Amino acid sequence: MADSARIAFPPATAITQGSSVRTQAVPWYTWSSAVAITSTTAGLYWDISWHIGIGRDTFWTPAHLAIQFGAVLTGLCCAYLILHTTLVPAAAVREHSVKIWGFRAPLGAFVAAWGGFCMLTSAPFDNWWHNSYGLDVTILSPPHVVLILGIFVMGLGGLILTTSQLNLSAGGNRERLRWLLLYQGSLLLCLLLMLGYEYIGDQTLMHSAIYYRVLGMIGPVVLVGIGRASGSRWTGTIVAAMYTVWWLAGNWIFPLFPAQAKLGPVFTVITHMVPLGFPVLILPGALALDFVLLGLASRSNTDKAVAGGGGFLVATVAMSWPFAYFLMSPYARNRIFAMNEFGYNTPPSEYHLAWTLRAYEQTRVEFWIGMLIALVVTILSTRLGILWGDAMRRTRR
Amino acid sequence: MQILRLVLLLLLLPVNPFSDAHVGSPDVYFEGTAGPYRLLVTIKPPAMVPGIAEVQVCVTSGAAGSIRVAPVYVNGKDQGLPPASDFLEPSAADPGWFSGKVWLMESGSWEVRLEVAGNQGNGKLAVPVAVFARRTLPMEKTLGTLLFGLMLFLAIGIVSIAGAAAREGGLQSGAIPSLRNRHLGRIAVAVTAVVVVAFLALGNWWWNSEAANLKQRVLYSPPPLRASLSNEHGVYELTLRIEEDFWHKTRSDEWSMGLIPDHGHLLHVFLLAVPALDRFYHLHPEQASNGTFSAALPAIPAGRYQIFADIVRGTGFPETLVSEIDLPNIEGQSFSGDDSGVATSPFGSPAAAENVAQLSGGDRMVWERGAVTLRAGQVCWLRFHIEDAEHKSVKDLEPYMGMAGHAELVRSDLSVFAHIHPAGSVPMASLMIVEQDLGIPMDHSERHALPAELAFPYGFPKPGDYRLFVQVKRRGQVETGVFDAHVGN
Repeated sequence: MADSARIAFPPATAITQGSSVRTQAVPWYTWSSAVAITSTTAGLYWDISWHIGIGRDTFWTPAHLAIQFGAVLTGLCCAYLILHTTLVPAAAVREHSVKIWGFRAPLGAFVAAWGGFCMLTSAPFDNWWHNSYGLDVTILSPPHVVLILGIFVMGLGGLILTTSQLNLSAGGNRERLRWLLLYQGSLLLCLLLMLGYEYIGDQTLMHSAIYYRVLGMIGPVVLVGIGRASGSRWTGTIVAAMYTVWWLAGNWIFPLFPAQAKLGPVFTVITHMVPLGFPVLILPGALALDFVLLGLASRSNTDKAVAGGGGFLVATVAMSWPFAYFLMSPYARNRIFAMNEFGYNTPPSEYHLAWTLRAYEQTRVEFWIGMLIALVVTILSTRLGILWGDAMRRTRR
Repeated sequence: MQILRLVLLLLLLPVNPFSDAHVGSPDVYFEGTAGPYRLLVTIKPPAMVPGIAEVQVCVTSGAAGSIRVAPVYVNGKDQGLPPASDFLEPSAADPGWFSGKVWLMESGSWEVRLEVAGNQGNGKLAVPVAVFARRTLPMEKTLGTLLFGLMLFLAIGIVSIAGAAAREGGLQSGAIPSLRNRHLGRIAVAVTAVVVVAFLALGNWWWNSEAANLKQRVLYSPPPLRASLSNEHGVYELTLRIEEDFWHKTRSDEWSMGLIPDHGHLLHVFLLAVPALDRFYHLHPEQASNGTFSAALPAIPAGRYQIFADIVRGTGFPETLVSEIDLPNIEGQSFSGDDSGVATSPFGSPAAAENVAQLSGGDRMVWERGAVTLRAGQVCWLRFHIEDAEHKSVKDLEPYMGMAGHAELVRSDLSVFAHIHPAGSVPMASLMIVEQDLGIPMDHSERHALPAELAFPYGFPKPGDYRLFVQVKRRGQVETGVFDAHVGN
């Protein structure tokens, strides 16, 4: 608490004094980590769409290659960075590197390399799992968790690489790094929301507490964490807006490509790639979060977490609840809102289920207990975001 | 300790010994016509579901230019449309051979549709395939070792990274970690190590529970078959009760579990004296109540008998149920209806290894083996010729339950049992369902005078010693020829 209180907001420039990199351009490895997380995130969106519309997949589908390209790129770039920093005493990054097992490199390089390695490890594991327990019918299998863990750690490594550079830079370079951090943060948000897709991708749950529990767990930690790490105002709103744009782009671009189901039984004839549905309405919550945190800048982090988390939840529910009625209506069954898009295995006789709000909780008491849990989870997520963001803000290596 | 358990789990995952429709013989062999083309089709269903089946087609008549394949799920309800079909790849060595794969995503009854195109026109063929998970795979030692090494590397790596982050992550450029920084680093290492061990333990528990859950939900086992014997007024009656197990119960909403007749009978029971395999009975108990069948037994010597019972579900899904029973000496009636049986020499005796089996009245059945060695996994034709006492081809064979012949094959250790016909290993009841589904209903029943030769397409699933019971009907009497065969690798 005391440490985080020392962090000025907006950011101090004192920490850049003495830095040898403050006048340099954005390093190549920061760009490469951004490319890697972009490829992996787009690959994951593509992969889910592939499973819904085409069904049949192998290790060599383009979506899988895009996911693994991120791992390979990260692995190669980080391996080079680690070896170069270790073996070349005059390497520019050596003075702000950490030492692990005799190797030297920026901390983010080790973290990202670990994530990439974890992703690659999942490949033979997943292959064996398919042979032993059947082809994928679920997202969360043990080898997939290894893959997902690797993806998140790889993304985290990229964020650390960017943040450490940001904390050592100034001027226009600092601004570029700040936007790069927000961009990476928005992709991290995309990834986490994909992980919760089973709940928050199901718009019929928008009047159920589980929807807000999952969204409250995922949203604030990223929005607040990235905001604190960047040291700028309104960053949560910007990250949420970026997520919304990326997701809408996926929703509107993917259906432009033809596809047909290659697994049966086929209940819905597929003619094009199936989008993943309208993005989660996280923008109002992010706006409320930023507004509250700015207004409580001088208060304790716990106060910020309570008020910010509460604000996020109230704003999210206030906007999502009525919006759910619209999504269930015939007006949302079009290219814009994609409520008329179904996977090959959805019988037309079940379409109406996707247009009918359902209660995840069986009773009103269960619902309100669920909403209370959602509030607690959102507050904890906000507090964790503050903690994580401040730790990132202190990272200089 | 948890890591050790994980390693052991990696290395010692068991092979599941469950059997299947037929028993231990899951591959489908079928010969049929697709328009002007005659095809010999082999389908090797996946051992785990969802999975990929291998399809091989040999065009035995006609010159096919291309063959497309698509799977259709048959559940007797809203079974949807087939996915986009795929071309089978023609063999470079033999233009009459085609091969490819189909993805089968559910357990149950499937129809593999083949569409043949060529200069002689187009034709369609549907082959029923029973799909069910048979086993999980043990992890190979090499892969287990590799994954364990990677896990150790990642675990130690993340602990080291956490230590470095706490020790040096916040230091100014060029600064050397202080004692306090080093202390922080050590604390981070300790805490992360605990977290990693807890994570691995949790992962181990989750893996175990996921694997156990998958096994319970997915792995097939035939429903239990309870056999009992009663004696009323000197008539011994065999009662068989088909019970419902978890696998079937959880699928009863998705597809019809009701039984349909195959060759006019809901249940085909085969009694085999063990271990000699020297007495064989093919009986057809009547359904006394739902799932319970009974039959008055014919004359049977005392002994232990293995029971194989063939049924076909409403979707065309065939199953072979297994049980055993000890029987006293039964002085029953002679065979009636379609029931039949034979007493022969014990398994492995020189007589049965011959190519000739003696039938009643001096008739004989000749197995035209040729010089070809039987090999496991290879499709072959089992050809038989029926001769009278003067070694002339008989001209008065009759259909036996609508077929030119039936053959039952059993491996010496009872791990394989298959009941096949001249059309192949698919039950006729299943075939009729998929042909109606495709819109090309055919009548496979034989009603005309039959030739003295009959041939069964089949591939023995594994090497070993087998006994074959080949059944034909002549002059109103079922004749059973018994042969022994060795199948090599």
